[in-house]
Amino acid sequence: MEIASHQMSTVPLPADLQAAAAMDKVRVSIRDLNFYYGDNHALKDINIDYLDRKTTAMIGPSGCGKSTLLRVLNRMYDLYPGQRAEGEVMLGDQNIIASGVDLNRLRRRVGMVFQKPTPFPKSIYENVVFGVRLHEKLSKSEMDERVEWALTRAALWGEVKDRLNSSAIGLSGGQQQRLCIARSIAVRPEVLLLDEPTSALDPISTLKIEELIDELKKDFTIIIVTHNMQQAGRCADQVAFFYLGELVEVGSSSQIFTAPRERRTQEYITGRFG
Amino acid sequence: MAEDTKHIVSSFELDLQKLRDMIAAMGGLVERSVADATAALLTHDSELAARVVALDPKIDAEERAVDQFAVKLLALRQPVADDLRQVVTALKIITDLERIGDYASNVAKRSLVLNKVASAYSLSGIGQMANLVQQNLKTVIDAAGEADPQKAITIWRADQMVDDLYNTIFRELITYMMEDARSITACTHLLFIAKNLERIGDHATNIAELTYYAVTGETLPDFRPKGDQTSAYVHIDPAK
Repeated sequence: MEIASHQMSTVPLPADLQAAAAMDKVRVSIRDLNFYYGDNHALKDINIDYLDRKTTAMIGPSGCGKSTLLRVLNRMYDLYPGQRAEGEVMLGDQNIIASGVDLNRLRRRVGMVFQKPTPFPKSIYENVVFGVRLHEKLSKSEMDERVEWALTRAALWGEVKDRLNSSAIGLSGGQQQRLCIARSIAVRPEVLLLDEPTSALDPISTLKIEELIDELKKDFTIIIVTHNMQQAGRCADQVAFFYLGELVEVGSSSQIFTAPRERRTQEYITGRFG
Repeated sequence: MAEDTKHIVSSFELDLQKLRDMIAAMGGLVERSVADATAALLTHDSELAARVVALDPKIDAEERAVDQFAVKLLALRQPVADDLRQVVTALKIITDLERIGDYASNVAKRSLVLNKVASAYSLSGIGQMANLVQQNLKTVIDAAGEADPQKAITIWRADQMVDDLYNTIFRELITYMMEDARSITACTHLLFIAKNLERIGDHATNIAELTYYAVTGETLPDFRPKGDQTSAYVHIDPAK
C-alpha cells in the first residue's frame, strides 16, 4: 500500500546551482536544428527556447519528432550509428551537439526519466547515489544528505526512509517512477527531460508525479513529452506542438488550449486528427 | 462551427451539434417571443400578449436544459480550443437569451396594461425600434448558428441605431408627460417598453461579441460607443 507523501521539501537548492539557474531566462535555445535517422529527415528546422525553471510540454502524434528532440537534448542519439543532428542546441553558452562535448558531463547537466520506471536491481539508496558517484566524491554523511535531499524533492522520502536498503524492485510503479526522478535530480542537473513519465502509471500516481513536476520546476528546467493533452495543460507553462518533424506552434498552455493560432494545432488537440 | 474536419470520436461531434441545435431552438423561441410581444403591443392584442407571458417559463426551462447539457459536455469531454470556446460561450449566450425572453415578457405585460389605459401617443416610433431590435436579434442568432464572425460584427455595430431611436423616444415621451399629466401612466409604461427593447438590443450585441470570440478566439474591443445618452440628463463631473 502506497502512502501519500504530500509533504514537499523546503530544502533550498545548493547555492552554486541557484546561481547557475538564475543566470539567464532561456535555459536551452535551439536554432535551425535538423535531425536525420540515416536518410530519414526526422526534425526540420526546429527553433525553440526552453525557459529557465519553466515546464515545457511537447505534444504531437506518434512519429512527429518530439521524442527525437528529447533524445537530441542529452545526445542519446550518439549511441546509435547513422543518426546525426545539425544546427545549434545551446545549453548556456555551449552548443551541445558540437563535436568534442563531454557526454558524461552533458548527461549530468541534462537528466532524463523514461516512460517506464527503470530502477536498477539494487537498493533504493544505491539507486539514488549511482549517478552521484560517477561525478562527485562525497563523504558518507554528505552522500546520505544528498540521498535525503533527492528523495524528499521527489516526494518519496516519507515512504522509503525506513527501508533505504531494501530492493527498489519492491516499490510500486508510481514509487519506482519517483525513485527514477530522485536518481535523475540527485546529480543536480539543470534540465530534466521526462519522456511520457506517467503513461505506465495509475491516475493517482500520475497526479503525484504532476504535483512533483510543479514542485521541481522551482529548481529545474523541465521538458516533458506527453500524449496526455490534459496533462500538458495542467503541468506546462509552455506547450509546443510538433507534426511530421516540424514545430507547428509554441505558446503558453492557456493560449494553446483556448485559442491556438494554427489550424493543425487546433485539429490535433480537439481530437480531429492524430 | 465552420470546421471541415470532423472529430475522431463521432459521438462528440454529435454532442456539439446537439448543443448548437438546442441553442438554435431556444433562440427561435426567444425570437418569437419578442416578435409576438411587439405585435401584441402594436395591434393591442391582449390574447397574444398573454401567450407571450405564458411562453416565458418554457424559455427558462430551455435555458436550464442547455445549461445542464453544456456542463455535462465539459465534465465528460473536457473540450479544448474552439470546442471549449463553443461550450463556454453557449453557457453565456443562453443567459443573454433568457434575459431577452424576460424583457419580451415584460413588454407583453405592459402592453396588457396599456390596452386598458387610453393613450394618444403614436406607437410608430416604438414600432420602428421594435422591428429593428427584432431584425438584429434574428441576425445575431443566425450568426451564432452559422458561426459567422462578420455577421456578428455587423450586429455589434448596428446597435447604435437602436440606441438612437431609444433616445428620441425617451425625449418625446418626456415632452408628452410635461404637456399632459394624465398621460403619465401610459407614457411611463411606454418608456419602460422602450427601455426593455433597448436592453434586448444590448443583449443581442453581447451574443454578437460571444459569437465572435467563439469563432475567432479573439475578443472584440470594448470601445463600442454607448448610444444610450438618456443618462446624460444627470451631470457627472469626474473631477469631483
